[in-house]
Amino acid sequence: MGITQIISGKLKKRKKKNSWLATVICFLMAFIICLPLLMIPGGAFADSSEIRQMLSPVLGEAKGYVDWHIIPFYPTLEHFYRLLVASPAFYKLFWNTVGMTAAILVGQLLVGLPSAWAFAAFQFRGRDFLFGLYVILMLLPFQVMLLPQYIVLQKFELYGNPAAVILPAVFSTFPVFIMYRGFTQIDSEILEAARLDGAGEMQIFLRIGLPLGQMGIRAAMVLSFLEYWNLVEQPMAFLEEQKDWPLSLYLPQLDIAQAGFAFAVSVVVLIPALFVFALGQDALEEGITYIGMKE
Amino acid sequence: MLPGFAGVLVFYLLPFLEVVRRSFLKSGNNAFVGVSNYQTVFTNNAFLLAVRNTAFYMALGVPILMGISLILALLLRNLVLRRKFVSVMLLPMAVPAAVMVLVLRILIDRQGLINGIVTGVSEKIAVLPIFEGIDYLNSGWALVIVLCSFLWKNTGYMVILWLAGLSALPKEVEEAAKVDGANRWQNWHYIIRPGLSGTTFTIGMLSVLQIFKSYREVWMVAGSYPQENIYFLQHLLQNWYLKLEFDRMAALTVLLSLVLLVVCLCLQKRLEQNIR
Repeated sequence: MGITQIISGKLKKRKKKNSWLATVICFLMAFIICLPLLMIPGGAFADSSEIRQMLSPVLGEAKGYVDWHIIPFYPTLEHFYRLLVASPAFYKLFWNTVGMTAAILVGQLLVGLPSAWAFAAFQFRGRDFLFGLYVILMLLPFQVMLLPQYIVLQKFELYGNPAAVILPAVFSTFPVFIMYRGFTQIDSEILEAARLDGAGEMQIFLRIGLPLGQMGIRAAMVLSFLEYWNLVEQPMAFLEEQKDWPLSLYLPQLDIAQAGFAFAVSVVVLIPALFVFALGQDALEEGITYIGMKE
Repeated sequence: MLPGFAGVLVFYLLPFLEVVRRSFLKSGNNAFVGVSNYQTVFTNNAFLLAVRNTAFYMALGVPILMGISLILALLLRNLVLRRKFVSVMLLPMAVPAAVMVLVLRILIDRQGLINGIVTGVSEKIAVLPIFEGIDYLNSGWALVIVLCSFLWKNTGYMVILWLAGLSALPKEVEEAAKVDGANRWQNWHYIIRPGLSGTTFTIGMLSVLQIFKSYREVWMVAGSYPQENIYFLQHLLQNWYLKLEFDRMAALTVLLSLVLLVVCLCLQKRLEQNIR
């Protein structure tokens, strides 16, 4: 049963009530969650002097407190203009982010799909132990792997190279796990029937595994995208030169005095993430339940 | 399968074993020093501070996150607008940390928006004492800020897990109880709560792991040497890494992964028990 159905309550007929109190509480919660996001357009579209005036207390130029306009008084595209026309560095870092994320996602698909399918469709010696290992590796936070990965990257002389960030991520076990869970949703009778009818293993994978397990694949890609679009610790630890950084590491280094520019960068970073979120939301929800799901 | 496993071996397993080995060696000349690296770690003041802080953060963050998300899931599960609310609550997952941190800096500055609003309110209500702005990041409030950003980011994720757990409960029992006149409290106490025990455990363990993953935001807001209440184990690892103190870092890595390993194994065992 998919989470989409669970959430929309299609499978189990559930009596839906319009409980006002619950709706109001949830609405409040949703509002609080959105509140910080509402500040972003105000920063990105206000002109420099307006931002300077709003933020002057933070900049140490005035007493009193910040006064934020959700809708700027003097809306302008000045920061975007500066970003797109006058900042070649921005392009470089933007394409770093895009390139890194794309390379990681493609790599994860190429490496992860066969592994996930092997775990889902075959019984082999040591499978359970190996799978347990994969699960533990996917749950460990990056800081635990910081020194081990540094040692490997040094050994292969990859330190400082974008591959230092890409390669370990490609072999991350997390997407394998999510895709595996997607494949296990396929009815095993279908696979057996196909085998009986003489389909080769490759054919079964291509004709049955890929189309029926696509929810898991999409979930893995959405979760990975949101993770790697937002990369901070890995590039910080393994990339030395700023020209190789992704935007997510560059943005926090911007001085608060350039807030308008920083907000414009934020908008550019945010849009692809929101786009993927909107497109892949059902997959995202499904993927999250895979993590906590019983076998 | 094989290339995938080879990669896992090369980038995860083998280097990890190498770190285990190095945790018994002195960095530089690679002389065997037994457990002396571990002794260095245990007598290190920064380590003791970081352990205390991390444990305290976890002890606060995990129950609060689980509580809030459970309440929201219970409120949400019969609502008409459920899907819309879940989308909004998940939204923070899509917001890059850097963007969130930029907004946060303006909100929590000593002369920032939050202090401004609180001052505005307290000036209107004459009874309240005069509010002097709080320097959130350089006082005990730092932990509160960290907690809020942790909750903001993870609530939606946990709500979904609770909803999935709730939907796995057999509907008939609840309906039968309702017919027999069970009130809301009884329904929760006798039917939902026991039925959720497996889910509770899973979500608890996942919350612990999320606490460790929330370091990214903490570092971006407060830097490598934050206020001492929010100096966590990850700061210590990161700073030792930058100072190239690899021998004690290896020992700490091994210690931390042992603790996390226990968490992971409990989680796994639980998931396997659920099959039966």
